[in-house]
Amino acid sequence: MNYLFHILIMIGIYSIFIQSLNIVMGYTGLISLAQAAFYGIGAYVTALLMINFHMNFFVALLISIVITVLLSFIVSIPSLRLKGDYFILATLGFQIIIFSILYNWVELTRGPYGIPGIPSPQIFGFAFDEPAKFLILSTIFALIVNYILYLITSIKFGLILKSIREDEIAISTFGKNTTKFKIISFSIGAGIAAIAGSLYATYVTYIDPTSFTLNESILLVTILSIGGSGNITGPIVGTLILILLPEFLRFLEIPDAIAANIRMMLYALVLILILIYRPQGLAGEYEPE
Amino acid sequence: MNRNNYNILLLKNLSKLFGGVAAVDNVNIGFRKNYITALIGPNGAGKTTIFNLISGIYKPTAGEIFFDKRKIVNLKPYQIAQLGISRLYQDIRVFRKLTVLENILVAFPEKEGENFLDGIIRRRRILNFQKQKIELAEEYISFVGLDGYKNHLAENLSYGQQKLLAIARLMATDADLLLLDEPASGIHPELIKKISNLILDLKEKGKTVIFIEHNINVVLDIADWVYLLDEGKVVAFGLPEEIVYDKTTREVYLGV
Repeated sequence: MNYLFHILIMIGIYSIFIQSLNIVMGYTGLISLAQAAFYGIGAYVTALLMINFHMNFFVALLISIVITVLLSFIVSIPSLRLKGDYFILATLGFQIIIFSILYNWVELTRGPYGIPGIPSPQIFGFAFDEPAKFLILSTIFALIVNYILYLITSIKFGLILKSIREDEIAISTFGKNTTKFKIISFSIGAGIAAIAGSLYATYVTYIDPTSFTLNESILLVTILSIGGSGNITGPIVGTLILILLPEFLRFLEIPDAIAANIRMMLYALVLILILIYRPQGLAGEYEPE
Repeated sequence: MNRNNYNILLLKNLSKLFGGVAAVDNVNIGFRKNYITALIGPNGAGKTTIFNLISGIYKPTAGEIFFDKRKIVNLKPYQIAQLGISRLYQDIRVFRKLTVLENILVAFPEKEGENFLDGIIRRRRILNFQKQKIELAEEYISFVGLDGYKNHLAENLSYGQQKLLAIARLMATDADLLLLDEPASGIHPELIKKISNLILDLKEKGKTVIFIEHNINVVLDIADWVYLLDEGKVVAFGLPEEIVYDKTTREVYLGV
């Protein structure tokens, strides 16, 4: 039973994580390779605040969102004035820098040793300290984040983001400050990634930098491309593939070491097929050029 | 001069060089308010470059642009658009993955709903506002004759229909000055007639129109005044008949 709970919790957390990229890539058309960095910042800030300052999870979560959003401006404000490819490079650089900090700033992050013993979230004396209980928390968060994303993209704000994705020059000559909208979109994405990271840290209770690598960021772009983006359903399909494919391979009783490689090959194969035959992804709207 | 027909847009000693080649070479033009002014001339005469300079996509190498007596060359494209200058692109540039209705909604100048928090905090008010805008957008859709297509994705429309959508979108901006880059190119003759009439209607509504056109009949039909450009310079200007029926301009510049 706990196995099933675990799967559902991971689906919840990843559906949040993947939406963080969806708003940036699917709606605004900006490819970000820094989402795992924001996910990691969220996880580390929440974990450190809870351990060092005995802060309540929900307070720590809020602070981690604020810090992550502020850090996102470091990438977005200078680089969003530039065009497409430079933005990708800036996010790539940011991802690598954050990983290096997590890995090398041993006094703060314990570097490669990671941070064990992260407390469980608690509210009014109720601790989400076992999978069945944590599932409630992760599901509520997943629903809230998906709902909020629906709320903000179903008004003109969402239309402007999509117009930037479709034709940035055209929408700017209709009086919209595209740089401002791109910065906001990117910071919303960073904040959402921080929520996913905070949940992840308090669920697994141990984090180390290897969960927040460039590979993770690239995987997220891959999965979102397969599931589809630019609406709410595509990323959910992506999440299901991301979480259920490894479990499916597990049932085939392929040894772990081989299964991991098969998984990567499958992702690559599916990605290529999708890009050729269904560029908008399985359930998406955004069609990269 | 009629007080209502002052120069709403003034290009003063305007030049734009690309790697030493002058695409626009010391151009001085005043565009009268509520006129339909045509820019004609061979390919490479600098017509579209002038549009790109006016809308702020290019910065001029030298010279000034005044809109309603205000200098605009240092403004960003979105700031220029907010002053009331909007554009129909030669390659149309509708938002392909948005529906016809959404293409128009996004172009309205009002800020309501542009802040993402509006979707959470003031949602009811914003949705009410949006409902009014949808009604207005539907009027524009009817105006250009795209009834029945409002929920179609723009990419699924024909070329001519996309052009009509772009005109409806232009109307939604409520801009006073409209820059139309070859509104009649690449479309069916019947549709050309329709678009010409739409442009005349826009003038009736008090808009100022500047348009680039190769179709001489459209110029004769709707233009109040014509500038003929070649190699970045104004080589002639006047009433459409004067320019179009002049023997030299016909042979040298228009090739007819």
